[in-house]
Amino acid sequence: MPIYVGGASLLAVLFNRAISGIAPVADASSSQSRADLLTLGLAVTNVLTGLVWLSIRPKSITPVEPQGVECQEIYSHLPESVVSEILWVWESLSAVTCCKSLVIVYDCQCIVQIGVAAKSLNIDEPFAVDAAKLMQGSLYQGVLKSGAQSYMANLSLYPGRSELPFLPSNTQAVILQPLGDRGIAVLGGDTIRGFTTSDQTWISYIGEKLDATLAKYMSSMPSVVQE
Amino acid sequence: MTILTTKTQLLNPLIQLKTPLPLKFRPKMASISARLDNSQQQMNLSVLRFTLGIPGLDESYLPRWIGYGFGSLLILNHLLGSDSVSAAQLRTEALGLSLAAFSITLPYLGKFLKGAAPLDQTTLPEGAEQIFVMSENVSVAQKEALAWATYVLLRNTNTTSVLILTQGELCIRGYWNLPDGVSKDNVLDWFKSNIEETGLSDLRDTLYFPQTADAEFWNILPQGTRSVLVQPVLLSPNPSMNYMGNIEGFFLLASSMRYAYNEKDRAWIRAVSNKLRNERRTWHFDILLQS
Repeated sequence: MPIYVGGASLLAVLFNRAISGIAPVADASSSQSRADLLTLGLAVTNVLTGLVWLSIRPKSITPVEPQGVECQEIYSHLPESVVSEILWVWESLSAVTCCKSLVIVYDCQCIVQIGVAAKSLNIDEPFAVDAAKLMQGSLYQGVLKSGAQSYMANLSLYPGRSELPFLPSNTQAVILQPLGDRGIAVLGGDTIRGFTTSDQTWISYIGEKLDATLAKYMSSMPSVVQE
Repeated sequence: MTILTTKTQLLNPLIQLKTPLPLKFRPKMASISARLDNSQQQMNLSVLRFTLGIPGLDESYLPRWIGYGFGSLLILNHLLGSDSVSAAQLRTEALGLSLAAFSITLPYLGKFLKGAAPLDQTTLPEGAEQIFVMSENVSVAQKEALAWATYVLLRNTNTTSVLILTQGELCIRGYWNLPDGVSKDNVLDWFKSNIEETGLSDLRDTLYFPQTADAEFWNILPQGTRSVLVQPVLLSPNPSMNYMGNIEGFFLLASSMRYAYNEKDRAWIRAVSNKLRNERRTWHFDILLQS
């Protein structure tokens, strides 16, 4: 809005000078010229402020529909309470954030794959998650070492993208949430920078809770064979 | 002439979260990006800032000072000018003075922009003590769920006091004003009797009071509460199914800030309330298995 005010007054000053028949020379000799200069300066300030306001206004980013198959695969040997907790996590994430895919790997096996997953080559089946490969990859190792959440707001900029083949190819943003030191949750979103800071904090708390729940149940089970 | 330099700022898209964000941390240069998080999506974070390069100077008030400075120079010019003041000069001066006045009010108008100034900080209610009580007859799983829910709500949102009523069991945490006659043992009874009076247990829809209101249940809330959110815990995932017996209980969240809960906060609180609903289903299932 100040742009219009500033621009209009700029033109008005020049117009005023023109119709008053004064020579268009910008020297500060006559008081008229000085007054003109000051007004011009004010007009320019307004224009610049308007530009600053424009940049503050949020730019809307459109979500990108992820390409892949819908799936809901949960490791079958989990007790009911853990499954319902996982389902609650998925329900909350998909309702509140822009998360469209969720994969949880714990103790070297893929526990959960919900949402949209990439298609397997040629078949209409979701791409199976190779937990061992993921855990050896640099993304997982990095997250494990730092113990903190990693947010890749614009996935196309990251070379680590190749380690997540199970996510739809046009996933826009990814959050890697470590679950203690035994697992990782991979959340795929459909908007660049779609996860806000408050989402990130909530996800880290949910990650802690999931880790506590899974640790309790995984430790009480015999070692399982990876299918 | 003053030198104006532009500074573009692009936040690194890889954001590492070492510890949960301290609630009220707002560094100066990134102040605009922090405020903008209130809306649904993350903002485009390249911001054009004009700065004189002088540290410690707040540039957002620059138009105001320029307005004052140039306006006074205009008046000076008018007074000290030549004898005959032409009409054209008067026009210019009038225009200049109105522009100066406009510039002076610009920072004030700028506060109303979307993504403008942050709200007041959370203050702790006076005379309140921190308590954490839970009903006795709750199962271990329910205890954990309640403890986690209250913990996460207190840490992650602008809440100072939280009260959860589910299946007749209470969990209260945070800062509350307890009347003098109430000892530690009677706390739960006191709360229970007060809540029955308010009729909040029959609530079906989410109630949000972003500013101090004259609601009936306000007397149990600590002093200094400015906004309140009451979230019912619904049994069915579809809130339009409104038959009796569908309500589990409710969450009562109080904060000492006005407008404490934005859209996203409320969505997350709804999600946490669904967690307790799920817990109940699981307990029933476990009980069925055992019998």
